[in-house]
Amino acid sequence: MLFRELFGLKLVLEHSSGHGIVLPEFKIGIDTRYADMDAVFISHGHADHVTRNKKNKVYATEPTARFMALRGFKGEIETIEFSEEIEVNGAKVTFYPAGHILGSAMIFVETENGNLLYTGDFRAPASPASEGFELPDKPVDIFIPEATFGLPIYRWEDHSHYFNEITTFAREHLDAGNTPIFLAYNLGKGQEVMMALAEKNIPCMIHESGFPLCKVYDDAGIDLGDYKRINYSETEGHALVVPSSVLGSNKLSNVKRKKVAYVSGWAAHEARRQQMIIDKRIALSDHVDFYELMRICKQLQPKFTLITHTPNPDVVQFYLEKNGLRSAPLATVDSLKEYRDREQSERQMFDES
Amino acid sequence: MSNSSASTFKYFAQTAQKIADTRGINGKIAVFEEYLSSVEDPSDIKLALRYFTEGAFSKKSGRRAVIGHRTTQTAAAEFLEMDYDLVFKACRTATGSGSETIEKLMRNWPTGRDKRKEQHLTLSEMYEWFEKLESAKNRDEKSELLQECWKLLSPVEIKFMIRVLMQYSLRIGFETKSIIRGLAETFDADSDDVRFAYMLNGSIEETAEQLLNEDLHTVEFEFFQPVHFMLASPISSASDIDFEKYIAEEKFDGMRCQAHIKDGEIALFSRDQNDISHSFPELDLQFNQHGLNNMVLDGEICVFKNDTIQPFQLLQKRMGVKKPSKKLLKEYPVLFIGYDLLFSDQELHLDKPFLKRREQLETVHESTGLPISTVKKLASKQGVEKLFKLAKDHGNEGLMLKRKDSVYEYGQRGNKWLKVKEPAGSLDTVIMYAHAGSGKRGGTYSDFTLGINVKEDDRYLEEFIPIGKAYGGFTNEELKKLNKEIRPLIAEKYGPTLGLIPKIVVELEFEEIQVNRRTKANYTLRLPRFKAIRWDLSPDDTDTLKAVERMFEEELNRERTENSVKPAFLK
Repeated sequence: MLFRELFGLKLVLEHSSGHGIVLPEFKIGIDTRYADMDAVFISHGHADHVTRNKKNKVYATEPTARFMALRGFKGEIETIEFSEEIEVNGAKVTFYPAGHILGSAMIFVETENGNLLYTGDFRAPASPASEGFELPDKPVDIFIPEATFGLPIYRWEDHSHYFNEITTFAREHLDAGNTPIFLAYNLGKGQEVMMALAEKNIPCMIHESGFPLCKVYDDAGIDLGDYKRINYSETEGHALVVPSSVLGSNKLSNVKRKKVAYVSGWAAHEARRQQMIIDKRIALSDHVDFYELMRICKQLQPKFTLITHTPNPDVVQFYLEKNGLRSAPLATVDSLKEYRDREQSERQMFDES
Repeated sequence: MSNSSASTFKYFAQTAQKIADTRGINGKIAVFEEYLSSVEDPSDIKLALRYFTEGAFSKKSGRRAVIGHRTTQTAAAEFLEMDYDLVFKACRTATGSGSETIEKLMRNWPTGRDKRKEQHLTLSEMYEWFEKLESAKNRDEKSELLQECWKLLSPVEIKFMIRVLMQYSLRIGFETKSIIRGLAETFDADSDDVRFAYMLNGSIEETAEQLLNEDLHTVEFEFFQPVHFMLASPISSASDIDFEKYIAEEKFDGMRCQAHIKDGEIALFSRDQNDISHSFPELDLQFNQHGLNNMVLDGEICVFKNDTIQPFQLLQKRMGVKKPSKKLLKEYPVLFIGYDLLFSDQELHLDKPFLKRREQLETVHESTGLPISTVKKLASKQGVEKLFKLAKDHGNEGLMLKRKDSVYEYGQRGNKWLKVKEPAGSLDTVIMYAHAGSGKRGGTYSDFTLGINVKEDDRYLEEFIPIGKAYGGFTNEELKKLNKEIRPLIAEKYGPTLGLIPKIVVELEFEEIQVNRRTKANYTLRLPRFKAIRWDLSPDDTDTLKAVERMFEEELNRERTENSVKPAFLK
């Protein structure tokens, strides 16, 4: 376990990759998987962020709680609203909309030793299929943003650009008698694609695992249009929304004249075409791009930024420092030593100030 | 598309991008045809086709702008005012392509946006830039010119400008085969005729010129312009072929060569159409002694000594040596063995069936004594196996099966020519390093350095040392699994390379073991590829360097049957 202390606030990483953060003094877990805590806060419903430990008291937004239950979490979940304050062992925890998927939250923890804002996965401008994006209206001490697309090669267009690509692709191929297939993750991206299709009244079928999750979107008032659970033998006239794993199975073998679009931030890479045998790349991402990440950091002016979810924290760090913002990787396997040294010197510096 | 914009480099680049973004050969050809029909000026068509197939300069011209990846990429970082080592390299690792990285940064990075003002250069204006870059004297000058040029271009133009300039593939999944089909369809010509013209002149640009002048049929064979080689498709077992329709020859342990002989002048061309005459001066003598003239032969160069075909490793001592010393000539004497006759008696034989060409070759052999391959009849699978064994006994690689009625065409032509080979061997090795792939495997760890066991080898302190780098032989599923399995094994990270804890065992298949004094092991493997990932084995089960040495020596010193015993070729 990796230990960090900044401004007297102690952090422990549950896993060296940076997933799962523990505040040991308050017995609070953030997206922790196994640790026994007094309270665990879950940022959103994707598998790499949700807890497996049923014994803990778990807090999540209502959509996140429903996604977790639908995807097999058997424990109890306390649902909380955005901006609602929860107190745990003297720390105050608040959720802010993260714009990543429906129910996704940034987790803001305030203690007497300073505060921390953990973004989970986040997207600004927010995904249209989410509750929006909103930062706390307070100065942030420790900012922990994900930087999945934290390289300057990544700059997203407006959502309308990608929505337009989605509907054009679907319309064009339906008109030509083909079956448009969108490879999109079952939770989040799939519903964004459906939302785009709904705007143009294009009927669609969604993968069996994604289908039950759509009800949560319906209940949140997000219009996913005319959709059905996929019936692999009667797909005619529909756009299909399936995860990319389906391509490797034989489920689509009855579907005639397949035309495949891959919808993901990773579709920005040309190499994905040959790797996946697809007709179109649509680089619609649920994560902030490099430029938005920089903008948010500059706007927040946190005292310290801990970068996570990227193999290149040093690039983000380089540009943050250029803007006079102090930062370090939250954790990377290769820089643990350098990281500890740096931490040492940082701590000294902060103690002095 | 209006006439003026049809001749721009931007339209070319956009078309190349559209071809890349289109799946399926027919769709790609349709995009290509649409492009060709909208470009009106013949000189623009030719230039565009050169950019599509050869690069900034034609291969025949021998011209080339010598500009390396590093020069281009550091020039880009300078243009973008971006840190090269920290930022640019990380971006390149993510995309797996330098030119794609530059394109993206030119589009997204503020400096990249601000510094450029698109000028819609024409194809020939772009050529002027290529010429300037060709004559630039040093790296600074090249870098400066590149940056000057980029100021005038859009991101997609910049990407393709780099690929055209550096004369490497445009990476749009569009091969010569398809270009020929597209050309034929656009000009309403017979694609066999187009293919034939291309085989003779070796240039799509020139072929297009013939098409434009409507004199495709007058394309003539020219001496010292190599004819594109006909190639064989591999088969592993000879079970489903109609043996009666084929003859068999041994697949010689040498290098393919096309010999042009005219009026005392002799040129030898390698498979990639390079002139290799200077490396093999004794072949001049050989041809002159036989009194050969006005002839083009397809055949093999082998080291031949003591009536035995010598291992390819020995021929390598001669390859690429411009002026071989007397000692080298004496120690590794080479011989040309003919197996096809492409031109003789003022006549091109390409469209005659194999047996007919063979008959003429035999006549040449009888009258001049030129060594030619032995041709064997085939009747059954057992026969193939017997001949295969005989070929291996001679030290040859395997068999070539050629259809009796096959005309000579360029490239792999279905099952007209087949090669029967078996891999030289396999070794159980351990993955030591994973490298981020480039090109089509960009963004994942797809190249692997494999280590051989030296735990109990006194010469080394390490447990494993590299023996080869493999980047194929696995399925996409296996690659995905590998990428997952290596994650917990990461010990170090050097840019795009991961140092791994030795754990995953791979059975490597390879063509040959070669000596390479520059490597730690002193040996490298030729064409290593994954045969199987051995999840069932542990690193302790891997093969040792001693085993590699033994295999190498066994192969080198293998008893080779003399040629005069059931000869592989006739002297």
